[in-house]
Amino acid sequence: MRAVMGRSRMEREMDAELHFHIEAFAEDLARNGVPRPEALRRARIEFGAVERAKEECREARGISLFDGLTQDFQYAVRTLSKNPGFTATAVLTLALGIALNATMFSMVSAFLLRRPPGQEPSRAVVISGINPTQGFQSDLSGVSAPNYLAWRQANHVFVEIAAADEYRTVSLTAQGTDRSGQGTSIGRPEALRASAVSSNYFRVFGVSPQIGRTFADGEGLAGHDHVVILSHELWERRFGSEASVIGGTIRLNRENYTVIGVMPANFRLMGFVPQLWMPLVLRAADQTEAARKERSLNLYARLKPGLTLEQARAEMVTLAQRAEESFPETEKGWGVGVRTLPEYLVQNFSVRGGLAVMMTAVGFVLLIACANVAALLLARAAGRRKELAIRISLGAGRLRVVRQLLTEGLVVALLGGGGGLLASYWGINLVRANMNFNEYVSAVPISLDWNVVFFALAISVASAALCGLVPALSASRTDVNTNLKEESRALSAGRSHSRLRTVMVTGEIALALFLLVGTGLLIRRLSVLHNQNLGFVPDHLLTAGVTLDSAQYKDASQQAAFVRNAMIQLRQIPDAEAVAATSDLPATGPGKVTFLIKGQPELPANQRLSALDFVITPEFFRAAGIPLLRGREFTERDNGTGTRAVLVNQEFVHRYLQGQEPIGKQIRLDVSGATPEWSEIVGVVGNTKSFSGSTREEGQVFEAMLQRPISSFALMIRAASDPEGLVGAMRNAVRQVDAELPLVQVMSMHAVIKRQDGGDAIFEALLASFALLALILAAIGIYGLVAYSVGQRTHEIGIRMALGAEKPHVLRMVLRDGLKMTAIGAAMGLVMALPLPRVFEAVLYFGGENIQEPALYFIVPIAMTVVTMLATYIPARRAMKVDPVVALRYE
Amino acid sequence: MDKKQIELLQGTLDMLILKAVSLGPLHGYGVLLRIQQISKDRLEIQQGSLYPALYRLEHQGWIASEWGEAENRRKAKYYRLTAAGKRKFQTEAEKWNRMADVIAGILQSTPEEV
Repeated sequence: MRAVMGRSRMEREMDAELHFHIEAFAEDLARNGVPRPEALRRARIEFGAVERAKEECREARGISLFDGLTQDFQYAVRTLSKNPGFTATAVLTLALGIALNATMFSMVSAFLLRRPPGQEPSRAVVISGINPTQGFQSDLSGVSAPNYLAWRQANHVFVEIAAADEYRTVSLTAQGTDRSGQGTSIGRPEALRASAVSSNYFRVFGVSPQIGRTFADGEGLAGHDHVVILSHELWERRFGSEASVIGGTIRLNRENYTVIGVMPANFRLMGFVPQLWMPLVLRAADQTEAARKERSLNLYARLKPGLTLEQARAEMVTLAQRAEESFPETEKGWGVGVRTLPEYLVQNFSVRGGLAVMMTAVGFVLLIACANVAALLLARAAGRRKELAIRISLGAGRLRVVRQLLTEGLVVALLGGGGGLLASYWGINLVRANMNFNEYVSAVPISLDWNVVFFALAISVASAALCGLVPALSASRTDVNTNLKEESRALSAGRSHSRLRTVMVTGEIALALFLLVGTGLLIRRLSVLHNQNLGFVPDHLLTAGVTLDSAQYKDASQQAAFVRNAMIQLRQIPDAEAVAATSDLPATGPGKVTFLIKGQPELPANQRLSALDFVITPEFFRAAGIPLLRGREFTERDNGTGTRAVLVNQEFVHRYLQGQEPIGKQIRLDVSGATPEWSEIVGVVGNTKSFSGSTREEGQVFEAMLQRPISSFALMIRAASDPEGLVGAMRNAVRQVDAELPLVQVMSMHAVIKRQDGGDAIFEALLASFALLALILAAIGIYGLVAYSVGQRTHEIGIRMALGAEKPHVLRMVLRDGLKMTAIGAAMGLVMALPLPRVFEAVLYFGGENIQEPALYFIVPIAMTVVTMLATYIPARRAMKVDPVVALRYE
Repeated sequence: MDKKQIELLQGTLDMLILKAVSLGPLHGYGVLLRIQQISKDRLEIQQGSLYPALYRLEHQGWIASEWGEAENRRKAKYYRLTAAGKRKFQTEAEKWNRMADVIAGILQSTPEEV
C-alpha cells in the first residue's frame, strides 16, 4: 500500500534521477566541445529509451505488483467480454457446481456447525451412560436419578451438574391470560413436549430468559414445583407473545401451574426444543435401588475453571466404578461418557451420514464442472498461442503470463461463485421447504448464513486454481518460435492440449459413473424397503398416541379400566371395523425383552435371549391385519387372573423353538418393574418387520394388556374407508372416557411409516438429480472435446479424404477415439465404485442388511456408454460433411 | 563506440556496481564513470540498463540510496554499499574468481593430461 501512496513521489524521483543523468552526460560532452543542444541529443540517444528504462525500474522495484494485478484484472475482464459465448458457458457451468455445493453446505452449517446456546459452550459437558449392550447410540444413554444425585454430591470437577428428563409429555387443558388465576379452557386438550429440569439447568448453559426468570433452587421440591417456563414458540403461538403471561396460570396434567418465564427463540439443543420446562422433582421413590434401572436423565455440567475434559472424564469413570461396586445388580457393565456440548450435539444427529454422502456427491459434480471449464480454458489458451507468444517475446516474463491467465480463471470463478451463491438462495429455500419430515429436523433453521458465503468464496477460489492452473502452465510453456510460425497451428501444441483434455474428460466419465452407481445402489435399497411386505396391512388404519398420566391413573387397575372403556367407545364408531391398543404400532421399532424358555438353563442377564415385546388388546391382530397361524388370540379372559398367556410370531418359533411344538411352551419374560412369571404360549402369528426402514426379521412376543397394563400406548382403528375421516370420532370417543387426556400424533399408519422413513425420499431425489447432472456435464464435456478435436483435425481429415479415405472410415476413426475414452473412464469409475456397498453400510445404515445389486454394475456403464457415444456421434457426423478442398485450404 | 566492448551478463553488472560504490557513495552517472575508469575504458555499460540494475540492487538490500547535492549544485540520488551488500560482494567475487580458475585450467590442459 505504501507503494501506491508514494507512487507519484517515486515517479517524480525516478524522473529526476534519470534526467540528472542525461544532463550530467550532456554537460560532460559539452565540456569536450560539443555544442549544448547537440550534446543533449546525443546524451539522450546514448541513454536509450527512457520509458523502457523506467518500466524496468518499476518492475525491478516491485511497485508494480499491485498495479500489475489491477492491469491483469482489467485485461481479463476485457478479454472475457470479447468472447461472451465462452464466458457464459464457463460461468454457468461453474455457477451450477457452486450453487449445488453451497446449498448442501447450508445444511452442513445448520446441523453440524451451529453454535450451541449459552456461554462458553465448550466448557459445558454432557454426561451420558454407556450401555453394555451394543445398540443404536448405546453410548449416549441416560443416567438414573440415584446416580445423578450421588455424582452431583461427590464430584470435584464440575461447578454444577444439572439433570433433564427431556421426553415428557404434558397435556395443556386451560391457559390463563391474566394474573387473576382464572383459567380459560382451550377446548381440546393439547399434548406438549416438556422437559423436566433441575433448577440449575439454565445456569449450567449460561442462558437467560427473554422475560421473567428461571427456576429458583427451592422449586425442585414437591409442593413448590408448580411453575413452568414457556418456550418461545409456544409463547408466540398460544399466548400471542404477551408479556402479561408471566404470573398467569395454565393447567397442565390436571393441575395448575404458574408461568414464570419465557426462553428466547435461539435456545435450542440439537433440533429439539421442548415446548415448556418444568422443575424436575426427585422423590424418595426415585432414589431407591429399583430406580437405578430407570435411566432417563440427561446430565449437563459445567467444568470448573482450569480443569480439562480428561480430568472430568477420569473422575466420572471412577464414580461410575464406585457405583458398579456398590450396586452390581443394576450397574454391572454400565460405563459413563463425558463429551463437550458441541461434540454431543453433532453426534446426536443421524443426518450426519446422509450429509456426508451428499457433500461428496456435489463435490464430484463440482469437480466435473471444473474439468469442463478447465477444458474450455485450455481450448481457448490453445487459440491464443500466437498472442501469448508475442507477449513473451516482447519481454513479459513467463510468470506474468501465467498470472494473467490465472487472473482470467479467477474472474470466471468469481463470477460463477457469485451466480452460484445467488442460485443457492433459491436452492436453500427449496431444501428448507422439504426438510420437514420430522419435528427435530424442521426445528433446525437452514439459511444462507455467513458460513455458506465463505464456503462459496473458498470453493470459487479453489475452482479458479483448478481450472486456471492447467491451461495457464501449459500455455506459458509455449515455444515462442514455433508459435510465431503460421503452419504450426494444427499440430504439436494442439495435440498436447488435446491429450490433456482427453484425460480430463475421461476423468469426468469416471466420476459420473461412480456417482451413478452409488445413486443407483441407494435408490435400489430405498425402493426395496418401500416396497417390502411389512407383514401387516397398513391401509385404512388410523393411529393415535396416548399417555396416561400418573396423576389420574395411579395404578394398574385404573389403567386397565381406561383401556377397557376406550375400546368400548371406539368400537361404537360407525365405520370402525376393528379397534385395538398396543404398546407399539407394528414396524415402529418396539422395545426388547429378555426371556427364558422353560427347560433351558438360566443365564446371566446380559446373555439371555431377547425378543421384541408388544403389549396389546385382543383385537390387535385383526386391526393390523396380521394372520393367526396357530392356536388362538387373546380374549377377555386373559386378564390378571389365571395363567398368563402370550403369543409369539413365526420367527420366534423358527429361532428359539426349532422342531418343537410351540403351543403350550412356557416362557418367562423379564419385565422391568414386575416380578417375572411364567407365561404359556397360546398362539403363533405371522411375521411383521420390526422397523419399516429395515428388512430384518426378529422374534416377537405379544402380551395381553389386561395382564400387564401400561401407561403409554397407541390406539388403532381399522376403518372401512378413509381413516382420516375418523379423526373427529376418535377424539370424541376418548373424550368420553377422559376429557382432559390429549391424543398425540393422530395420523394414518401410512403417515407414520412415511414419517419414519425420515428424509429418505428427499435424499433419494437429491442424489438422483446430482448423478444425472454429473452425467449431463460429462456428456457436454465429451461433446465439446470431440467437436474441438474435429475442428483441429479438419486439415488432417481433408488430407485423408483427398487421399481416398471414405466418409465412414473417417467417422469410425472419430467414434473409436470417443469409445476409447468412454471405455477407460467407465473402467476407472467401476473400479472406484466397487467398495461402495461397504462404504454405505458403514456410513448410512443402522444395522439393516445391505442390498447387493450386481446388475447395476452392468446397466449403468451400458447406459453411460450410450449417452457418451451419442455425444461423440453428433460432432463426428459433422466431421463427415467436411469438403476436402475447403479443409486443405483451411487455416 | 569502442568495438572491443564485451557483452556483460546481468550478474556481472551487479558485481561491478557493487564494486564501484564500495569505493565510496556515487550517483548513477558517477557509477557509470567509475566503472569506465576502473576498467581503463575497456568496458562500456549500456546506460539504459544501469538504472534497473541499481533499483534491483536497492530492492534486494545490497545498496541504499539517499538524496544529496551533486557537483553542479543540483539534487542527485546517491547510492552506497550496505553491510549486507559488502558481504554479498565478497561472496560473488570469490565465486567469480573460482570460476575463472576452473575455466583457465580447462583451457590450458594439454592433450596428455586428458
